[in-house]
Amino acid sequence: MKRIIIDREKCDGCLNCNIACISAHEEGSNFYTVNMQSPEAETRNFIKFDAQKGYLPIFCRHCDEPECVLSCMSGALEKDPLTGHVQYDESKCAACYMCVMNCPYGVLKPDKQTRTKVIKCDFCEDKPDGPSCVKACPKKAIEVKEVSL
Amino acid sequence: MKIVIIGASAAGISAAKTIKTSEPDTEVVIISKEDSVHSRCMLHKFLGHERDAKGISFIADNFFESSGITWLNNTTVIGLDAQKKTVKTHDNQDISYDKLLIATGASYFIPPIPGLRESKNVYGFRDLKDAQLLDNECNTAQNAVVIGAGLVGMDAAVAMLERGLKVTVIEMTQAVMSLQLDQKSAQAYQQLFEEHGAEFILNDKVVSVDVDEVGRGKTIHLASGKAVPADVIVIAAGVRPAFNFTEGSGIDTNHAILVGDDLKTNIDDIYAAGDVTGIAGIWPNAMKQGRIAAINMLGEKLLYEDRYALKNTVNFYGLTTLSLGNINPEPEENCEILMREDRYNYQKVVLKKGVVQGVIIQGNIGGTGFWQYLIKNKIDVSGINKDVFSLSYADFYDQDQNTGEYRYAV
Ligand SMILES: Cc1cc2nc3c(=O)[nH]c(=O)nc-3n(C[C@H](O)[C@H](O)[C@H](O)COP(=O)(O)OP(=O)(O)OC[C@H]3O[C@@H](n4cnc5c(N)ncnc54)[C@H](O)[C@@H]3O)c2cc1C
Ligand code: SF4
Ligand code: SF4
Repeated sequence: MKRIIIDREKCDGCLNCNIACISAHEEGSNFYTVNMQSPEAETRNFIKFDAQKGYLPIFCRHCDEPECVLSCMSGALEKDPLTGHVQYDESKCAACYMCVMNCPYGVLKPDKQTRTKVIKCDFCEDKPDGPSCVKACPKKAIEVKEVSL
Repeated sequence: MKIVIIGASAAGISAAKTIKTSEPDTEVVIISKEDSVHSRCMLHKFLGHERDAKGISFIADNFFESSGITWLNNTTVIGLDAQKKTVKTHDNQDISYDKLLIATGASYFIPPIPGLRESKNVYGFRDLKDAQLLDNECNTAQNAVVIGAGLVGMDAAVAMLERGLKVTVIEMTQAVMSLQLDQKSAQAYQQLFEEHGAEFILNDKVVSVDVDEVGRGKTIHLASGKAVPADVIVIAAGVRPAFNFTEGSGIDTNHAILVGDDLKTNIDDIYAAGDVTGIAGIWPNAMKQGRIAAINMLGEKLLYEDRYALKNTVNFYGLTTLSLGNINPEPEENCEILMREDRYNYQKVVLKKGVVQGVIIQGNIGGTGFWQYLIKNKIDVSGINKDVFSLSYADFYDQDQNTGEYRYAV
């Protein structure tokens, strides 16, 4: 399967990946027109800073054994057997947030506006050239690579 | 090989899926006493008319056909012969197995309070059937009484409030959801429910119920002397693992079916998973146990080590809370309790010698998944030079160089 592979040494914390993610999920927007003030502006990837370690990119791993899927009580989260990616179906989700509690890496969050859905990386599956964050990274700190399942 | 699974819910379905993915040639038969597969965690959405019965299913429409699983629904298992390796059903079928998984969950019980068991308008809130019967009552009832303010009782209450009933919740302890919350975080929910019309009677107990001439409970009498009118009564005072049919089979039980870390019972070829093992009463753990039992039934040896059960998330009226571990320590436990609050958030961390014992995060729970790892693995955080409230996975950041998956650096 394809996974976004992180080279944290290369990350310099510019947050272009955050903006690209928000824009990718705001219909019709691009890097320059995206409404960052919108209550729906939510990023699915996070860059943390640590004085010793530097920048730490936190991106959904679409895990081999995804704890979020194993905890989902509505069938909203499923690992696609073909792509290996963990996909989220908002219409099934019951907003119980067991998945938020169970993702060991703290990737998942409730939407801040309504608390009726989960904000989750979808690998930009609908975009022909793959994850928008990867395209937006000027340092190639994140790259899509094939990893064996 | 033929694997029979009793129970078509979190544990049973996750086991069946696992078997069919790893070894598709295995014959799998699932027996369940209910006629549908649904997620109990969404029953309140059904009762509240937010979703129909199909909308609370957690499997695809054609799940059984497309995965080649035989499903005997509306079929109750009433006996088990471990020598002959057969299970007996209510309609007198003897179904043979090579390996058996018991995933029969739990069922509610009605406490022996005078008048309560006799009342025809008393319902549990466990199966879709319960919710359907309640749904009917809600069409005409005005006053609903919920006995027990745990998560299940609150689910029932929220749905009936949605339906416009006057809901009174009676609870023995001094706060709602007292297993999951502390006084302060419980208060926030109680207030929200009250704003939506609920009434709470805490620190009180049902002592008797007056039954009318047609057998319906009408007035609920409490220890305090209060009397509460009721058209419909929901009992949410706890559940018990459901395994009556194992009597005489030789399977070791106490209040639950006893299993080793491989989820096998004392009898070879018989495994158990989910609420019936009494290990944890929540969905994620039932799914995981189903999965691990399945892998072991296929001949591998995987251990279930997640016996840590004190964890939950709560979401009512958009107020979200994460609750893990020991959140209400006794003074003699000598824990350090740290709290932080702002307009939208309440956070509490219980520490003992640098090890996190419990947390409550109410408000923004985004990204809080790492806390469970810290508590479960008893990670000492005292060496990390920062405020405990600003911890995140980043403080334990590590990656597998080959797969790019994260690990914990501890
Ligand atoms: C109202 C409510 C809300 C909940 N909310 C949450 C939540 O938000 N988050 C969470 O994590 N957990 C929640 N839970 C708990 C969660 O639903 C359970 O932990 C989970 O359903 C356990 O799954 P299980 O497979 O072990 O058993 P169950 O779900 O109890 O299923 C048992 C299965 O066995 C079958 N069965 C039982 N006896 C027999 C028999 N003799 N013969 C044939 N078939 C039989 C039943 O038909 C059923 O298919 C909630 C529970 C309730 C009742
Ligand atoms: S949300 Fe968390 S558990 Fe789920 S696939 Fe992504 S990283 Fe893994
Ligand atoms: S919040 Fe939605 S996606 Fe997450 S576990 Fe609950 S139902 Fe599944």
